[in-house]
Amino acid sequence: MDCPTCEAMVDAYVDGELATSESAAFERALEGCPECRRRLEAARMMSGLLRELPAEPAPDLLRARIERELRTIAGASRVRFPGAAMRWGAMAASLLVAVSIGWLGGSLVGQGGRETDELVAGYIRVAMSEHGVDVASSDRHTVKPWFAGRIDYSPPVHDLTQEGFPLVGGRLDVIDGRKVAVLVYRHNQHRIALTLWPSSSSANAAATIRQRDGFALADWRHDGFEMRAVADLAPVDMKAFATAVDAAVTADR
Amino acid sequence: MGRMSDAPKPDGGTVGRFRSVVLPHLDAAYGYARWLTRDPTDAQDLAQEAMLRALRYFHSFRGEEARPWLLRIVRNTWIDLRKRNGAEKLPLEVLETRAAEGPDPEQSALAGDRRRQIAAALAALPAESREVLVLREIEDLSYKHIAAVLDLPIGTVMSRIARAREKLAVELKGRLERRDHGLPDL
Repeated sequence: MDCPTCEAMVDAYVDGELATSESAAFERALEGCPECRRRLEAARMMSGLLRELPAEPAPDLLRARIERELRTIAGASRVRFPGAAMRWGAMAASLLVAVSIGWLGGSLVGQGGRETDELVAGYIRVAMSEHGVDVASSDRHTVKPWFAGRIDYSPPVHDLTQEGFPLVGGRLDVIDGRKVAVLVYRHNQHRIALTLWPSSSSANAAATIRQRDGFALADWRHDGFEMRAVADLAPVDMKAFATAVDAAVTADR
Repeated sequence: MGRMSDAPKPDGGTVGRFRSVVLPHLDAAYGYARWLTRDPTDAQDLAQEAMLRALRYFHSFRGEEARPWLLRIVRNTWIDLRKRNGAEKLPLEVLETRAAEGPDPEQSALAGDRRRQIAAALAALPAESREVLVLREIEDLSYKHIAAVLDLPIGTVMSRIARAREKLAVELKGRLERRDHGLPDL
């Protein structure tokens, strides 16, 4: 075997793509060819290094979005899809378990991992179900009074349609053992969950935005409220959302 | 693949089969999309769009291996989305070498400097080299399946892999030298 022939076979050999007889011929040729031995080592090393890269599984939110589409398509073409609701419920349950014990577990530093886990789990509940809200309305005069008597504070509620974030509704959640208000907004086909509660500090703090598995997470403090927003948005859109919330709250004082 | 309007509307039974045959490869579709787009948000949008397209084309699935079949749809969807976004006027190489930051190492939870350098080097490769390495080393496809995804002869796949590994070695060496001289990462 001449060197160009054995050179052409190096990568196929590394990848196990040579027939047994070709492999044997290649190995014999290799003994007389230091250049091809060097190539073989280099190709093996590159292959090995790439295989060290950890696999990145599909984010739970993507899975949930696809599930929602499949369910809609299956439901639209049948009058009733027996068992679908139950399977969906089971899937939702396993998703939430995955979220609370899996990739989010303790992986977010600084903010207190549990709070973030709870926020993201709450967001997935919002994003995954068709409604995801306890009170569905784009009218702040419907959403804001709904919280009265359900939680011990009155959250500022504004429709942000003008800014590209129409209000979808509101719901309750429990963060760190406390009942809190969650406002749900929409941006194109994406949903945003804004969780807010009274702060112990009156100083405003600008929004910091982190990205994690396709989620954007924003936290900030404005006008005496702790604000936490979660969505499958680009960071720049999340920033625009936080700015829009702040402007509406300030204008309403 | 036929035009969209030729496709019968998927019914509940089709969705059921799709769930058991194609949906298990969502991780692979997302992984490939992640390296094609080099952005976690774009990758989710691409994977979702490709999955829905796969469902619409599922009637043309003939029981071949589902993973390469799906990955080919991911790739075609990616090409279509780029065209729609007006990116087709730039030659592939120019477009790909311009934005070379790759997946954010923090986000990807890539532990350790070495892995970070490898990921950055792979992300910096032109699309043609990057995708063939991703299909081979990360998705672990055979040459035959890579040829099916890329719609190329097996011989071309083989030579592309060889060239791509050489490019990766050069890229990685450059990065490690920059680092050893205390220069910031590219």
